[in-house]
Amino acid sequence: MNNETSIAQDEILSPSLPPPNPEEDYKGYKGHARKLLEEKGARVWCEVVLETTSGDFPGILLPRTETSDDRHLVIKLTYNGYNVGIAVDTITSIKILGYRKANYQIPEKEFPFNPGMPDVVLLGTGGTIASRLDYRTGAVIPAFSPGELYGAVPELADICNLSTRKLYGEFSENIGPPHWMGLAKEIKKEIENGVAGVVVGHGTDTMHYTAAALTFMIQNLPVPVVIVGSQRSSDRPSSDAAYNLIRAVNTAATGDFGEVMICMFGPTSDYYDLLHRGTRVRKMHSSYRSAFRTISDVPIARVDDKGFHPIKHDDAYRHRDHSQIPELDAVFDERVSIVWYYPNMQPDVINSLIDNGYKGIIIAGTGLGHVNKPLYPAIKRGVEAGVQFFMTVQTLWGYVQMFVYDTGRDIMELGVTPLANMLPEVAYVKLGWVLGHTHEPAEVKRMMLKTINGEITEREPIDGYLVMQGGLPELDDYFKRFQV
Amino acid sequence: MEAFYSMKNILGTPEDWKRLGFRCGIEVHHQIKTEKKLFCRCPAGPYSNEWHAEVLRHMRPTMSELGEYDGTALMEFKTKKEIIYRLHRDKVCTYEMDDNPPFQINEEAVDKALRIALTFKCKMVNELHVIRKQYLDGSIPAGFQRTCIIGVDGVLPLSNGKEVRIIQVGLEEDSCREISDNGHRIVFAVDRLGIPLIEVVTDKTFESPQEAAEGVQRIGRLLRATGYANRGIGAVRQDVNVSINGSTRVEIKGVPRIPRIPYLTAHEARRQESLLQIKDEMVRRGLSSGEFPIDEKKLEGNGISFHRPELKAAQMAGDTIRVIRLPESKGLLSWQLTGIRRFSDEFSGRVRVIACLDQKPNIFHTDVESAVLDDHDLKLINEFARCGKDDVAIVVWGPDLDTITAVKEIHIRWEEASQGVCNETRQALRDNTTDFERVLPGPDRMYPDTDSAPFEITREKIEAAEQFIPEYPWDREKRYLEMGLPEDISRNLAISHFADLFDNLLEEKAVAAIRAGEVLARIITALRRKGFDLTKISLEQWEDLLRGLGNGKIFREGLFDFLKNWSKKPTSGFTDMLGEYSIVPADENTIAERVSEAIQYAYENVQNDIEKRIKVAMGEAMQSLAGKCAGEMVYDRIRDNMINDISC
Repeated sequence: MNNETSIAQDEILSPSLPPPNPEEDYKGYKGHARKLLEEKGARVWCEVVLETTSGDFPGILLPRTETSDDRHLVIKLTYNGYNVGIAVDTITSIKILGYRKANYQIPEKEFPFNPGMPDVVLLGTGGTIASRLDYRTGAVIPAFSPGELYGAVPELADICNLSTRKLYGEFSENIGPPHWMGLAKEIKKEIENGVAGVVVGHGTDTMHYTAAALTFMIQNLPVPVVIVGSQRSSDRPSSDAAYNLIRAVNTAATGDFGEVMICMFGPTSDYYDLLHRGTRVRKMHSSYRSAFRTISDVPIARVDDKGFHPIKHDDAYRHRDHSQIPELDAVFDERVSIVWYYPNMQPDVINSLIDNGYKGIIIAGTGLGHVNKPLYPAIKRGVEAGVQFFMTVQTLWGYVQMFVYDTGRDIMELGVTPLANMLPEVAYVKLGWVLGHTHEPAEVKRMMLKTINGEITEREPIDGYLVMQGGLPELDDYFKRFQV
Repeated sequence: MEAFYSMKNILGTPEDWKRLGFRCGIEVHHQIKTEKKLFCRCPAGPYSNEWHAEVLRHMRPTMSELGEYDGTALMEFKTKKEIIYRLHRDKVCTYEMDDNPPFQINEEAVDKALRIALTFKCKMVNELHVIRKQYLDGSIPAGFQRTCIIGVDGVLPLSNGKEVRIIQVGLEEDSCREISDNGHRIVFAVDRLGIPLIEVVTDKTFESPQEAAEGVQRIGRLLRATGYANRGIGAVRQDVNVSINGSTRVEIKGVPRIPRIPYLTAHEARRQESLLQIKDEMVRRGLSSGEFPIDEKKLEGNGISFHRPELKAAQMAGDTIRVIRLPESKGLLSWQLTGIRRFSDEFSGRVRVIACLDQKPNIFHTDVESAVLDDHDLKLINEFARCGKDDVAIVVWGPDLDTITAVKEIHIRWEEASQGVCNETRQALRDNTTDFERVLPGPDRMYPDTDSAPFEITREKIEAAEQFIPEYPWDREKRYLEMGLPEDISRNLAISHFADLFDNLLEEKAVAAIRAGEVLARIITALRRKGFDLTKISLEQWEDLLRGLGNGKIFREGLFDFLKNWSKKPTSGFTDMLGEYSIVPADENTIAERVSEAIQYAYENVQNDIEKRIKVAMGEAMQSLAGKCAGEMVYDRIRDNMINDISC
């Protein structure tokens, strides 16, 4: 689009190259490409002219994605800002004109303090709620500080006094029990410090595991704990990141809730976010903005620019109550697994878990909660060895009901306990947490079936099976009935 | 401030443009024909105004790779538009609505783009890197367009011997179609998004409006000549960049028709010249540096009552009215820029776009000669703004927040006036002047598409593409004219994808040039206009037909009917079709018999007038011979016969 560079030459060129730093200077380049750079004395972020057999290419030498081949150099063309790859074997020489390192920072400003506003803390675990680009993998990586956030989303200052603490810098697939326990402890600390609510920034892939874990590990919450992320990277102008963050922070600051929730887009449009109960929510799409859905129940509320619109009845969720004392119960036994049953599954799948010392197995069975006969001996063997078996349904919606067919009764006979409508992932998290307390079978069973916060519901509401939950006209019409 | 040319002669002379330092660069965007879209597997057209779902998005500016917010981005966020996307279930998938990452770039499009870049003699890149180019106007649901460079440093020769540098040939996804834009709500149809678009960008080496028009035309013809250019409304759009000595680049976006380019660029140059004169005048008045204080007041209604209907209505509606005093600005706002445009229109344009006050008029000012505001209103405003005799007041009205934005923008534009010409994108108006569209984006809005892997352009791929480079259409056209072909045939055939076939058959002397030319450049077009679809007939089938025309299997006179039938069964071979529609050439006996009968008939029915007699005989003979033998031959026979008869 642009014929002229708007970067003045003197701005680009620094008088001399910084001291060598092999890690940075050849970032992503290997083999032939790296050899060429070393020979010619060129480094990443140098302004260069690549002289090739088909002509000259002026530009800034960029880092390369590590997984790419070693036969090309990547430059950002000086005169139009485009990136192109030039074949190493066509390059006859590299003229070095100067050096300019990119400045990745989101404009950082000090977050303003207003004594009349509620205090909210944002605990960072990673993910793309705020992000920058990483050339090593060519991916988007998180950038996180109150100042950066304020620079990117200044609306936050109209809601609360925000402080942030980066606890972890992990993609969500790397988040697990140690992080859950650590988060629970930090949340307790923050609540005791008197915050009006806690927001947890989290990668979306495993957000619902963390939501379940926190529900069990820190109970009796006086204030909301809101987990938030973004489905579409925050570098894009139409990202859901800013809206999710604003609405999550607003929920933490002023929402009348006292439980662990996930706050993510309702429809793919910007209209509103849904607040999902931490034990009933699941990521149901790999990339949609509206990926998170409450399963077998309705979300707690909608939140938009105007405020909160409860969908659940007033007495069906926990309210903000500053007299409550949060109870920390952060334990976890990692010897737990989920077995997703499929036709013709062989008993060795179960046996290998038993042999490897697993203490608890959640089965996601077919239909009402079934597995095939060849697995029975393996399950029996496991139960005898003290392994706890629980049944959930891989249909996700609906209850385990093992009395309807002989198969179900046989499996219960083996010692498998049905978990009603607990989601398989939630059951996994809960079993690890329960086994952190006791291995005594009757007690494990009792604790698994005792509902902490909605992981099992007595009844399934008739509107608990709205898969889209917003986005299509008829569903939006449905939700309009709950508008306040 | 005398214009250097009269408005009647807006196009000026080469000397005028030289003196002004007219410079122009162009960007041509042309859809290319592919089956599917560039980054997903949706069909690449046609459009539909039906839709099944709507999505609402807003656009926030974000940071580029080099860490700075882009000027356009910030400006457009100020407008806070609600953007509505209309989705058609068969034409759009979750990719276009930006709820799914892109799929691998469409190789058919890449291959065609390579051929086009080579046609412009570009240096080819060896690896495509998809880039995100931010657009906050809402025309793309993600907020960025995926685009990549195929080749750089190409060449475009002009008829005057000048060689224009092609900066780049790019391949990108087309954007959404704007359906409406009112106030804070803009509506787009998403079906066009993702259709592959070739972008050809030239250096700013055009030195007159006429040269620029020729450049656009040549790029268009060259693209057409490759055979990959999509036709139809909106398939091609061109932007022109204009600057003069002392100004800065201004982009005129989406110029619809080539004949308008000279007028648009001439008007733009004139506008820039006027803005530079205004700048000089501001310097003379001491408005050149430092602070540009303006006074701004919210007009609270008590006891004030306007005559002007728009202001009256605003008062009735409870809208905010703000009055801004621009010191020392007498005579500037009414300064004629070009055509009917005045300096005040510069303010009005910003207010329209950025403050979303888009009902015109959207400002009034007191620097008026005409009766826009009557004395009562003028006095009221001047008094309220406390204007001195050299000051001017501007009035804006509307929703409170929008008027605040409007005041800010008026202040910004006033400051910018002291710098001369602003870096802007402008839209073409019907009278060939322009209006503000947005601040011109810089390279800061480009950053890598982290969803796409680099795509290698192998040497084999380039070598394969080199086989498809067409001859320059202007060279070809010249060749055809020299061959004696009529102008229209030469011109159309030169950009036709039949041109190579035509040349090959001519070289073999398989068919007469005029016959083949007529079929390929006239008959096909005529039939297409009548609604017959001949696009499914392959080059090979056309070749058979032309050879048949050359060796007497089919005749010109029968072609129309034959092709009409063929369009209904485009998969049939030429010979099969001939058989099916029993087009069997008449034998010599039949021809002789029919000619003789026809002559007889003419003698019986026409007295003495030989020309008329020939005509009647011809009509009679062709009734039974049409399509079965060459009409010229029948004509020659009849004519010879009759003339011989006279001479006897």
